Amino acid sequence: MSDLVQHVDSPLEITAAAQRLRARALSEDISPLRVIEVFERWGEALRGPVCDAIPGLAFLKLWLRRGALEPIVVRELGSEGFHGAWREERAARLRAFPLGVVGHWPAGNIEIQPMLSLSCALLGGNACLVRIPSGLIAETRAIAEKLQEVDVDGTLTGRIHLTIFDHERTDLQRAMAAAVDGAMVWGGAEAVTQIRSLPFPHWARIAVFGPRLSVAAMDGATWGDRDARESWCRRIARDVWQFDQQACSSPQTLFLERRADCDAAEFVDRLAEAFKAENQAHPRQAIHPAMTSAICLARASWLLDDTTHHARFPQAPDWTILLGEGSQIPDPTQGRTLSVLVVDDLLEPIEKFDGMVQTLGLAIRDGAREAVLAQAAGRNGVDRIVKLGRMHVFGSPWDGTDMIKPMVRLVRHMPSNED
Amino acid sequence: MNALSNALSEDIQQQIEGLLATPTFALEPGEHEARLLAVLRLELGYAAERSSQLRRYLDDWPVDYRVAARIAELPYLPVGAFKANPPLSLVAPESIVRTLASSATTGQMPSRVVLDAPTSKRMVKGVAAIISDFIGPKRRPYLVIDTPQTLAGQGGELGARGAAIQGLRPFATDIVCCLKADAAGALEIDEDRLFDFVARWGKSEVLVYGFTYVVWQHFVLPLRAKGIALDLPNLRLLHSGGWKRLLDQAVTREAFAGGVAGVFGCDPARVLDFYGMVENVGIIYPDCEQGNKHAPAFGAVIVRDPLTLQPVEAGRQGLVQVCSVLPSSFPGFLVLTDDIAEVIRYDGCECGRRGICFRFVKRVPKTEVRGCGNVETTRQRPQTV
Repeated sequence: MSDLVQHVDSPLEITAAAQRLRARALSEDISPLRVIEVFERWGEALRGPVCDAIPGLAFLKLWLRRGALEPIVVRELGSEGFHGAWREERAARLRAFPLGVVGHWPAGNIEIQPMLSLSCALLGGNACLVRIPSGLIAETRAIAEKLQEVDVDGTLTGRIHLTIFDHERTDLQRAMAAAVDGAMVWGGAEAVTQIRSLPFPHWARIAVFGPRLSVAAMDGATWGDRDARESWCRRIARDVWQFDQQACSSPQTLFLERRADCDAAEFVDRLAEAFKAENQAHPRQAIHPAMTSAICLARASWLLDDTTHHARFPQAPDWTILLGEGSQIPDPTQGRTLSVLVVDDLLEPIEKFDGMVQTLGLAIRDGAREAVLAQAAGRNGVDRIVKLGRMHVFGSPWDGTDMIKPMVRLVRHMPSNED
Repeated sequence: MNALSNALSEDIQQQIEGLLATPTFALEPGEHEARLLAVLRLELGYAAERSSQLRRYLDDWPVDYRVAARIAELPYLPVGAFKANPPLSLVAPESIVRTLASSATTGQMPSRVVLDAPTSKRMVKGVAAIISDFIGPKRRPYLVIDTPQTLAGQGGELGARGAAIQGLRPFATDIVCCLKADAAGALEIDEDRLFDFVARWGKSEVLVYGFTYVVWQHFVLPLRAKGIALDLPNLRLLHSGGWKRLLDQAVTREAFAGGVAGVFGCDPARVLDFYGMVENVGIIYPDCEQGNKHAPAFGAVIVRDPLTLQPVEAGRQGLVQVCSVLPSSFPGFLVLTDDIAEVIRYDGCECGRRGICFRFVKRVPKTEVRGCGNVETTRQRPQTV
């Protein structure tokens, strides 16, 4: 079995790989249904000690299920599109065709992102050239090997080239950009800006999933309910722990709507227990010293800045809860540091959102009230509004945009034999 | 704060003086830990009494400092907390005699610490005790590789370079600054003053101090370029400050010491690097003859594992925490730095100094991850006026 992950050292290698991929993509149509059949086998194969240790693997497995993908494909491409067929639209016929080769630049902090990204382009029938960030090579290789195991005839693996090169190799970055017909770019502002400035062909379509942060909010009825508290706290802890709180969908702040008969500190004590338990179940294996410094500074700054502030944290940098009041999102620290802010009305913080908030995780008892908050959130730039505990469940649309459609061409056929 | 006396209690003062009077690097580690822990607990109580901010921090710290069994359990402040404006203070504004500021790179906020007269005095005693253990207590002519303006400070505020220069005053007879700023503010050698100093003191024992990159960039390289060799074989040159700029130029420690020795005509062993920071006033960490750094009786160093924040084992690296009983005007008792060091051993350095010996490794590198959740650079939209 050849290694799907390859080091490259020259622009020519990239150009050659792209040519091979393009020829493959254009030589044979592949329907989303056929892609999903392989995905399902892939998802089932993703187990074992190496895979199980990869953060976010459960989300990838969920994503690869037909039950998750079929509705997305149908919504984006139509039911005929799911089978790779033409659909009628009045006198015309419409069908999605792949762009060709889609280049992927995943972020360096989400282990499953290379695969999530390429799966979207594969569903559109494309071939994929993926630059694997240096910190994700082992995880990506482990996941890719499982695909090779189940995709024996190379239906999908023949359309994938996973490549490794230093992000400072501008010549290779430029070669990759020049060789693709579309691009999916994920990451922080600096990386995204740098990649967008590469010499893509003028026809290339570029989908950018830039840096965002996420926020959670609970109404008084929900967090004040002592019976349900433990369950909600567990959900919040899970959302914070996934991807070490570095994903765009990770909650950085939790807003609690004030409730006169309940003490937020009591809720935070319960949340601290949940964080402790989550930490025992999923202890950190390593940390960058700069993150440790940032966590220590966040704890100190919070408590020194305002004598009404409180905090809960262990001696280790494992987790931190900062408690205070206010409707402004504090600068995020990440590293499992959650700011919990009490507000009189959840609309106050939501109306201050400025497009930086990607996901709003909610726990609201009253549906009508939730609809009002969702409306306000949407108006203020939020792209996903989900239940607490499900903030990282990958789906389409993401960042307010479809995941498959941007990487296909919708071909319109007006039959010539009709009037 | 005004209702309280500015002074530490008699008991605490006596204990600090006792530690200052103790042979600087001779305490048995167990005794050192016990004596320091007792004073630091009292000092944290003093700080909590005087600052509601500090009290809040100490109250929410996971271990009660009043019953902490080890210095490592006591609440420390990260060095970034000293960038607060106004600076963290434990004394009334009228008691502040000087503010020290760290060197900060362009666009960054410097750390600032306020000194009252007692802290200032203890700072001088602390540095004197440490330096005299390395070069002896004798006063000698003092050549400063910097400008008189740096030495003087501005508006009651003294920068890191100025503070380091001042810290060595107790060892000085005459002080001569041998750099000057040209019209554009660039540093250049004041040759008249330099050659006069060399002519006057020639083979005598002299003390020289400069910031590492200033010594190299504005003294060694220009003299080398002109082919000038001085004749000061009996100097002791102390230098401190970051190595980053020199490492960028591929200047190693050995090359630095060799270059300095070359222009002064002395043995490279007479060049002494020390580590220090304004937040840890009164304590500096010169290299011993084994190349290790040591903590004095009135301070301690803890190297913490970034993953657990527990002290590392000998031979391991971690974040440096510095501890000092000297300040009473600002809460610089326990400071977690952004530096990485390696613990060589916890006792038994061949130089004879007791307690922990360590080596500075590097500044904490900035994290390279720039993920989709990294919003360090927030969305900037043009603002309408």
